[in-house]
Amino acid sequence: MKRAIVALMIGGAASLGAQAKTIKMEVNGLVCAFCAQGIEKKLRAMAPTKDVYVSLEKRLVAVALKDGQDIPDATLRESLKDSGYDVVQVARTEDSLDAVRKAAKEK
Amino acid sequence: MRPFIRAAWLAIAVAPIAAHAKPIAFQDGWTAMAEYGTDTMREAQVFYAPRYWWSGGLSATKIIADDGRFEREMPGAQLNYLVKRWNLPAAQGNFFVWGGLASARGFDTGGERFSAVFTQKLGAQLDYETRSVYASAKTDWFHSSRFTHRVDTVQLGFAPYEHDYDELAFWFLVQARRINGGVMAGTEWVPMVRLFKGNFWIEGGVNRDRRAQLMVMMNF
Repeated sequence: MKRAIVALMIGGAASLGAQAKTIKMEVNGLVCAFCAQGIEKKLRAMAPTKDVYVSLEKRLVAVALKDGQDIPDATLRESLKDSGYDVVQVARTEDSLDAVRKAAKEK
Repeated sequence: MRPFIRAAWLAIAVAPIAAHAKPIAFQDGWTAMAEYGTDTMREAQVFYAPRYWWSGGLSATKIIADDGRFEREMPGAQLNYLVKRWNLPAAQGNFFVWGGLASARGFDTGGERFSAVFTQKLGAQLDYETRSVYASAKTDWFHSSRFTHRVDTVQLGFAPYEHDYDELAFWFLVQARRINGGVMAGTEWVPMVRLFKGNFWIEGGVNRDRRAQLMVMMNF
């Protein structure tokens, strides 16, 4: 029992220590590239942002983070709202932005 | 030039203004539009949006009767308000209203010139779009002690392919428009082509008289 608890604690600590490289957001209303320019503009203005990727087809907005940095979900949702869109879901991944982009382009 | 041709020219000229264009870009964003190319319509607009649901700026519109018997130039200020936006999984709908004040100048039928005529402008737009279909209905109302005009526009469009964020967008549209107050008679149907990529938008058309018009728009 003790071993199981220790293993769980170690696993949890490792999980907390893992740094997300990319934030992925599922966004509603994302149908026009011209109208969605504000999303990129606002996200790039944030200090933790390294790069931004938008896919209309996948309804996806992805943000690559600088090392050791993050953006709170509430800030992301507000930023997208100010750009005129609604965030449905936010997820973090250790995948690079290139990997996210490649996966999004795969049909 | 036959009245129909001139009316079609006018419809092509004003089409970009009523088209896909939205008067509010995004929070802290600018929208600039300029259109030139016909004998019957000129318009330039610059709006700044402090929030995603409202914007304000300058708008200058010139309307010329299809037979040239009168002209109105209406430079002024305009406020735009997003009443409702529907962000759906694969579509977006919007309901905008706007109002403005202008100082009109020009000449009436008979050639009598006027200037500094207080003019009110009110308008609304309801639109719906997916990545392959577009529909909008818009109305603009200009009123002063010397004239009243209402411009009603309905547009339907489709994209031959669904563009993505980093790709060139290409659209075909058909527009039906009525302008009252003696500017044109009946309803005009106008085919249009539109291209945009990044924050730059350009569109144009050529009428049956092979007279071209051009409209450009930028968000930044």
